[in-house]
Amino acid sequence: MSQDPIPAVTGFDPVVAGRYAECDGGGMVPGTGLASREEFAGTLTGDYVDHGDPPWRWYLLADLVRSPEGYPGAAVWCESGSLFVMDRPEERP
Amino acid sequence: MAKNPLHTKFCDLLGIEYPIIAFTHCKDVVAAVVNAGGFAVLGEAMHTPDEIAADIKWIRSRVGQKPFGIDLVLPASAPTADTLEKLLAGIPEEHRRFAESIKKKYDVPEPKGQQALHQWGGLNQEIARKQLDVILEERAPVFVSGLGSPAFIIKAAHERGMKIFGLIGKTRQAKREIEAGVDVIVAQGYDAAGHTGPIGTFSIVPEVAAIAGDVPVIAAGGVTTGQHLAAALCLGASGVWTGTLWLASRESDNDMIIKEKLIAATSDDTVYSKSVSGFPMRVLRCPWTEEWARPEAPRTLGSPYQMLLSSDYIQAANDHRRADLMFEAAGQGVAFVTAMKPARQIVADLVEEALSVFENLTGESAG
Repeated sequence: MSQDPIPAVTGFDPVVAGRYAECDGGGMVPGTGLASREEFAGTLTGDYVDHGDPPWRWYLLADLVRSPEGYPGAAVWCESGSLFVMDRPEERP
Repeated sequence: MAKNPLHTKFCDLLGIEYPIIAFTHCKDVVAAVVNAGGFAVLGEAMHTPDEIAADIKWIRSRVGQKPFGIDLVLPASAPTADTLEKLLAGIPEEHRRFAESIKKKYDVPEPKGQQALHQWGGLNQEIARKQLDVILEERAPVFVSGLGSPAFIIKAAHERGMKIFGLIGKTRQAKREIEAGVDVIVAQGYDAAGHTGPIGTFSIVPEVAAIAGDVPVIAAGGVTTGQHLAAALCLGASGVWTGTLWLASRESDNDMIIKEKLIAATSDDTVYSKSVSGFPMRVLRCPWTEEWARPEAPRTLGSPYQMLLSSDYIQAANDHRRADLMFEAAGQGVAFVTAMKPARQIVADLVEEALSVFENLTGESAG
C-alpha cells in the first residue's frame, strides 16, 4: 500500500454557499466495526475538499440548527452524496 | 407453483442460487455461504488496505469465480478535527466518576492491551479512501457502502466490472443512490443490530421498493429465519441481508462466550442504548448498558466522548473474557439464533423455511 497521502484539493463553490442543507451523515464508530447514522442541518459555507481521484467531495456545513445530542463541534464536513440542499424550513410552503 | 419464488432478479444479477446475503466480519463465513449458494459480504472497515487485499485474495482462493462483496463504512460526515487529548479533557468529571463506579461495582480489570479505539479503523476520509482504492485495484466483485453514498465511485467500479451496493436507512438516500446508478439497494430497518436508521424494516422496504424500478431491493434488519425471507419478498424485496444470524455460526470466529450469549438471548435481551458510543445502538444487554439506563445515571454523552468512556470496559471485558461483562451488537431477530450451526446448514434452513411458507400460502409445491 502506498504511504503517500491521498491528494486533497480545497476549493469554494459559490453556487451552494449560504444554502440551507440537511446531511444524512454518520461514520465508523471507533473500535466497534460498526457504523453510526447521525443527522445534521445547517448552512453550507461553500468550502469543499476533494479527496483522491475520482474526486470524493466534502462540503463544510456550519451554523448547525440540528446535530446529534452532545455533538462537540459548531460545524461538520459532509459528503456530497449525503447532502440534501433545500429551502430553509421557514421558507417552505 | 410454476416459478421458484426464491429465484429473484437479485439471483440473476449475481448468478447465485439463493437471495440471501450474509454480512460478517469473518472470511470463513463468507466462503461457506458463497459455496452454499448464497452471497456474502465481508465487513472490512477496521482493516488496513494491505489486509483488505489479502482477504480478497484469500476468499477468491476458496470460492473461485463465485461473487462476494467487501463492505466499508464510507463516512458521510466528519467532525472538524480534534486531538485525542483534547477530547479526553472534554469528558465531564461526573461522567468519569460514574464510569469508574461501574468498573468498581463489577470488578472490571484493566485492559491487557492497546485499546481497539486507538487502532486503525476508517476514522476519516483519507483512510476510507485508501481502503476503497485497494478494493478497486483488486476488483472485488461487489463493493458495499455500509453507510455513506458510493455515488462518486460507481463509474470507476463499473469500468472494472464490479457491482456497487448501497445500504440506506431513509428513502431519500435510496432515491439519490439509485439515480447515481447503484446496482442494488439494501434498505435497513430499525430492528437491525448496531446503529440503524429510525424506520422499521416493514415500513422502509416497501417504500424503497416502490421507487426502485428495476434495481433489486434487499431487506435488512431483524432477518433471521426463512419466514422473514418470505415476508421480505412479499414486501417487494429481492432478497435479504442478514448479520446477527452468522455471529454464532460454527465458522464464525466470535468468542465462544459471545456465541453462547447470542444463542441464549431473546429479542428482549437486546437494548437500544446510547451508552456504548453515544449513538443509539442495538446490543445485547450487559452491566454497562444497564447501569447507564438507571434513573440516577448521568445523561449519556455524545460521540466520541461516550465511546472514550466505554472503551476501557469493552476492552477489559474482551481481553479477560469476562462472560458477565461481554456483549455484542445484535438485532431483534436474535431470538431465532438457537444453535451453533454450520453456515451451509443455516442457508439450507432459510431456504427450506421460506419455501414452506410459500407452499402454505399457495397450497402448491414451491421450489
